[in-house]
Amino acid sequence: MGLFSAPAYAYITARVRARKKKLIPRDTYPKLLNMELPEIIRFIEETEYKKDVDELSARFRGIDLLEHALNRNLGASYRKLIEISRGQVNYLVTEYMRRWDIWNIKTILRGKYYGASEEEILDYVVSAGELHYPDLESMARRESVEAVIDSLQNRPCYQVLKDYEGGMLNRIEDELDKFYYARLLDAIGDSPGEKLFLKFLQTEIDIKNLKTLFRLKRAGVDREGVQNAIIPGGLELRGPDLIRLLGLSFSELIHSLDGYSYWSSIADIVSEEGTSLTDVETKLDAYLMNFASRISHYYPLSILPVLDYILHKKIEVDNLRIISRGKELKLSNDVIQNNLVM
Amino acid sequence: MVEAEAAGLIAIGAGIAVGLTGIGAAIGEQSIGAAAIGAMAEDEKFFGKGLLMTVIPESIVIFGLVVALILLFVF
Repeated sequence: MGLFSAPAYAYITARVRARKKKLIPRDTYPKLLNMELPEIIRFIEETEYKKDVDELSARFRGIDLLEHALNRNLGASYRKLIEISRGQVNYLVTEYMRRWDIWNIKTILRGKYYGASEEEILDYVVSAGELHYPDLESMARRESVEAVIDSLQNRPCYQVLKDYEGGMLNRIEDELDKFYYARLLDAIGDSPGEKLFLKFLQTEIDIKNLKTLFRLKRAGVDREGVQNAIIPGGLELRGPDLIRLLGLSFSELIHSLDGYSYWSSIADIVSEEGTSLTDVETKLDAYLMNFASRISHYYPLSILPVLDYILHKKIEVDNLRIISRGKELKLSNDVIQNNLVM
Repeated sequence: MVEAEAAGLIAIGAGIAVGLTGIGAAIGEQSIGAAAIGAMAEDEKFFGKGLLMTVIPESIVIFGLVVALILLFVF
């Protein structure tokens, strides 16, 4: 980090640390579990989500209001990070946030493929990347998958989308993920903080691949199908090791993971008979979050504290959504708690 | 002639003492000031603490000033 780039990092890291302090503390979640949905909404109205809930309360009610307020707040918080950062940190945050562009494009394509209405599609978009809400609205108004792809001709991801030849979207979605990670990994410089950021991203790729392996192996998908969905560039799951795992059955897979650093976080809940994939994914997400928290203190003036905030904000929104959806569906507190990432 | 040269060198020394400590303080303050403003942008209550933290590197300039004054008035 140069002498003149230090203030840019000092400014953004001070802001994200202050923002992280405002997140809902971990010990509040058990209290929320004992509340009913209207009480949860009232509680959320008294937090950082107040403005979003107030502004959307004329259009939505109940759980829909909460969903929209959470999505809007998440998008606004992430967009703010792009606005208030400068230099290399701005470049990295912008590249990192492109995952929301990919998420939104996938959501809109899927919506169009299954004939969802414009409103239904827009319920699930999070305007946090390069594509602003009006762009997403205009995409959601298009009449077909092909028309949505045409509207993205000036965007970098078009080089992947242009290969779409009709039919199922799985392939194009996998390619979008690969495109996103390849571009992000390329953007990372060689400062010590960015090297750790690279390690985090590689770990994230491993965790994504591990989730894919669990899901597809459980579903009995063949080797080629799994291979297409695997994102290259992982930290531990790579090269011959990864190729070996691709060829294994589900039961062989869970016996082969011993030795990877991720195994300790899921060893207790994985078994041949009854592995809950939701539980595995929750534990892996918690592993990733703890990893980010741990490394965020290594280089205080780097992208790492920003990354830590980004992850914690996402986890907060996910947890609030899980609690409110769980309450609406009258799930037991134990079931809801098991799905929370803490 | 020699006395005049010595006085000139003392003056240059005093200038360097204040100048370099000023630059050092500025380098320290740039990051602290940026962080303080960042914290204040999120919460105005940080104003007092932020201001205090920002001026802490100024103390090094006082050392420079003391050295300069000693050079000018003692030697």
